[in-house]
Amino acid sequence: MLEFPALTQDEFRRLCEFLYRRTGMTFTEAKRYYVERRVIERMTTTESSSFETYFARLRTDLQGEVEQFVNAFTINETYFYREEHQLTCLTSELLAERLKVKRPGDSIRIWSVPCSTGEEPYSIAIWLLENWRHVDDYHIEIVGSDIDTDAIALARAGAYGNRALTRLPPQVVEKYFVANGADSWQILDDLRGSVSFTRVNIVERAETKPHGQFDVIFCRNVLIYFDDLSRRTAAENLFENLYPGGFICLGHTESMSRISPLFDVARFSDAIVYQRPAR
Amino acid sequence: MPLIRKPPVEAAGTPASAPDAAAVFAALARGTDDERWSAARAAADLPDSVPALEDALRRERSPVVREALFSALAHIATTQSVEAVLRFLRSDDAAVRTEASDSLLAMKDVVWPYVAPLLRDANADVRILACGLVRDMPSQVAVSLCCGVLDSEAEPNVCAAAVEVLAEVGESSALPALERCAKRFSDAPFLTFSIQMAVGRVRSQAPKPRA
Amino acid sequence: MTDDTAKRILVVDDAGLVRRYYRSALETAGFEVAEALNGLEALELLLGDRFDLVIVDVNMPQMDGVSFLQALRAKSLPLSSIPVLMVSTEAAPQRIATASAAGANFYMVKPLRPETLVQYASLLCGARNG
Repeated sequence: MLEFPALTQDEFRRLCEFLYRRTGMTFTEAKRYYVERRVIERMTTTESSSFETYFARLRTDLQGEVEQFVNAFTINETYFYREEHQLTCLTSELLAERLKVKRPGDSIRIWSVPCSTGEEPYSIAIWLLENWRHVDDYHIEIVGSDIDTDAIALARAGAYGNRALTRLPPQVVEKYFVANGADSWQILDDLRGSVSFTRVNIVERAETKPHGQFDVIFCRNVLIYFDDLSRRTAAENLFENLYPGGFICLGHTESMSRISPLFDVARFSDAIVYQRPAR
Repeated sequence: MPLIRKPPVEAAGTPASAPDAAAVFAALARGTDDERWSAARAAADLPDSVPALEDALRRERSPVVREALFSALAHIATTQSVEAVLRFLRSDDAAVRTEASDSLLAMKDVVWPYVAPLLRDANADVRILACGLVRDMPSQVAVSLCCGVLDSEAEPNVCAAAVEVLAEVGESSALPALERCAKRFSDAPFLTFSIQMAVGRVRSQAPKPRA
Repeated sequence: MTDDTAKRILVVDDAGLVRRYYRSALETAGFEVAEALNGLEALELLLGDRFDLVIVDVNMPQMDGVSFLQALRAKSLPLSSIPVLMVSTEAAPQRIATASAAGANFYMVKPLRPETLVQYASLLCGARNG
């Protein structure tokens, strides 16, 4: 790899501003190292001789450079208990808020979209069973949705390799999975049967609306890949799929401030979360 | 296990049939907040809905519903919908100006034929917003339009908006216009600063190895 | 009571060069500066950190300066009382009245001279309402 000095302050800020305008991702000084590393990687791969040359490539989205750049931050590989701080926020803050407007016998509905191969919705299910003291008092409905039907099929099958389970405490693995070979774990049928999976394109209202309204939606690291109009449409769809007062969690580098003015921002100790205004 | 599973959503029946245009337009005019919002979204897919959407925008007080109305017009993305949105660009209400501007930005190349005339609008704020639209146009056109602004614009804030765009997309062909503008506004510290920054960035674009 | 920690100013404008210009003038004068590109981002940042002053432009994408100010003043104390300097491209009486009604502490027309910006920033940084 060629040696490049770090970005100047001005270059870093301009890059962040461009990425924010283009994707809605926010990078603070704390993330600077990762951003610089990624720039250097991409400069090397694209044989860009200077930051300006690379930045021009990014700005014009040459050969899909924006998506290439952003992919490193979304890390397509998924695993159980990813972004655990949001799960913590779910059980310690968000559900408590939702319970204020629920009556006995009401359901709690949670949507994981995109759900990819199912790690996220299953994680939510396991986390609730393990950590939410009210888990037996309410009906909990978890839906996982993705545009990729192959991913949905894998999610329904519920088989995962060791790597996907690395963040799970051993007793959780033992409780909810059955070993199925050297590098394969099968989610218990009970759990597998409790999460429903659907195919959805979040930009298509005809596909999102039938899912009904949810108390909490997890929509991580997908809005950043859309253009302005699609992002706006998706945000409106997700707004419609939330109960008034319901919450939506984005990826931890994403900000709704670039995406849509429809939501209020709620800052909890574990996460920044967005809320459909209550009536 | 307290987790429950409902029948899969796709099995819940065929997708909703095409909305009834008359019902949608009626809800646009007379519904509750939720009904007007929903109708605005549905109108995006109906033919000939631009006049009804524009009409609704003139009366609408709720920012949430307005957002859906402007979204629908952006979704339609025809010259007719562009012209409808343009009529709100001069609103006294800053929120409406922002919503209209965001809607235009989402329409991308459908708006481009309108950008040059907008850069000559009588209203300085409109000319500034037009510079924002220039940023997304193909580089050579953007540079040419911005240089045109720098040479003919009397209002410093509009020049500043053009400089902002050149600082991002500018090439060496923009340097003469930048330098001429700097001379014209030599007593305006912000413009001097901005032009200096833009010139610096444009000059550093000549590819050179860092090592 | 003197406060020895530096005053923190949030600069809100969608133009990067404007933010850079304000930052340069304010940092030279000893202020700490953070930036936001629109009213929504500003509200997010204000929820997380203490600021002594917000300098906000009127015309920004997603959420304009007036709407931002209205949303800010509707929050609870102490956030809602933070001083706000509103900056606009013109000084039409109606615009000033709107800004004032929304809760602006001061209103200035851009482009600003750096010494004027610093002078009013210093003045407003101590000026909490209620």
